[in-house]
Amino acid sequence: MSDQSLLVLTLVELADSLVDDFDVVELLSLLADRCVAMLDVSAAGVMLVSPEGELRVVASSSEDMRVLEVFELQADEGPCLDSFRTGAAVLIEDLWRENERWPQFAPAAVTAGFRSVHAIPMRLRGSVVGALNLFAHERGPLSESDVVAGQALADVATIAILQQRVASESRLLIDQLNTALTTRIVIEQAKGVLGERAGLSMESAFETMRGYARDHNMRLAEVARRVLDKSLALGDVVPGSSDRHPL
Amino acid sequence: MTGAGIMLMSGGVAQGSVCSSNAVSALLEDLQFTLGEGPGVDAFTGDHPVAEADLAGPQASRWVAFTPPAVAAGARAVFGFPLRVGAVRVGALHLYRDQPGAIDDDQHANALVLAGVAARAVLTMQAEAAPGLIGPELEAGSDFHFVVHEASGMVSVQLDIGVGEALARLRARAFAEDRPLSAVALDVVERRVRFT
Repeated sequence: MSDQSLLVLTLVELADSLVDDFDVVELLSLLADRCVAMLDVSAAGVMLVSPEGELRVVASSSEDMRVLEVFELQADEGPCLDSFRTGAAVLIEDLWRENERWPQFAPAAVTAGFRSVHAIPMRLRGSVVGALNLFAHERGPLSESDVVAGQALADVATIAILQQRVASESRLLIDQLNTALTTRIVIEQAKGVLGERAGLSMESAFETMRGYARDHNMRLAEVARRVLDKSLALGDVVPGSSDRHPL
Repeated sequence: MTGAGIMLMSGGVAQGSVCSSNAVSALLEDLQFTLGEGPGVDAFTGDHPVAEADLAGPQASRWVAFTPPAVAAGARAVFGFPLRVGAVRVGALHLYRDQPGAIDDDQHANALVLAGVAARAVLTMQAEAAPGLIGPELEAGSDFHFVVHEASGMVSVQLDIGVGEALARLRARAFAEDRPLSAVALDVVERRVRFT
């Protein structure tokens, strides 16, 4: 397959994988592998910014520890960090000339067998989420068509990541809403139980439970639950009531 | 469309009305809450749009309890869309028209967009909530039928049964009397009706 058709196929595959519950790491691993298959590079990795603001390796085309270490070094210095900070591509034709700029990263990358390195930012509008990192054994520039293809791949991956973040935030909010609703329903049910047992209005039943919760340093939801499961007796909750039978 | 309503759902059960555009839409929501069936309920549980272009027609038999009162109130075509953000569902948008007829492609596409916007609006309101509580704006602007749960608690004592079963008894009574569940529940809470 030509590089051109593999690029189109990969873009379609990445877009197709943007279904509801996709695995981001799997998607980015596919991205790294395809970069090596169709661009003129020998290793590719994806670095994403963590919630703490640090760049982390999330996917790599290589399992070689020396290569992974070169990726990891870029939490502190290197083309990925620069690309992440500036939002622009960093294209290094010859690593031998970069020892001063990156005293840790450049020698380590050369030792791992690389001579040129490129970082393409993963950005969407104002937000930069990480960088796509490409390594080659040979010295020399990344071709213009490879830069364009790499950026297209990085853009699709960025959309995928942002979409997944929105989805997990939404899931959290819905879980919170469902929990809040369930808790509230239990409280309303307990108001009914207590009101019926003690002949109280719903308002008085609520105030009574709230008072009990305050006096016993319990959460209102917990008092309501215990009213419902009858582990609290009427006389415990309603002052002046002599009924010691369970609710 | 003649009217629209948005309902919140949780655990496959209608939990409340966020808004409705007119009295018929409000009734359609109430019927779905009372009976546990209808276009919004199906759209939510099936996670896909639902269309019934001729509610009074002979083919419209999927909602045996919902359909007769909905038609009597003037709904001749009903449509349901899940309220979703990504894979997550929070409720349903239901639409009705006072004439039979299918929904066209443009309307269908617009309804999907509106359902997405509504879902995001619900989540945005919930994002303002204190821990463990319903978002204040969401609670103030919606009707969660809490009176029904109070009545369930009371009926559970009256009949010495669980609250779940008490809710089922309230629903059965509402269906038998052809009244909204919340109206029957209010009678219980205001002690005009006892279950014995």
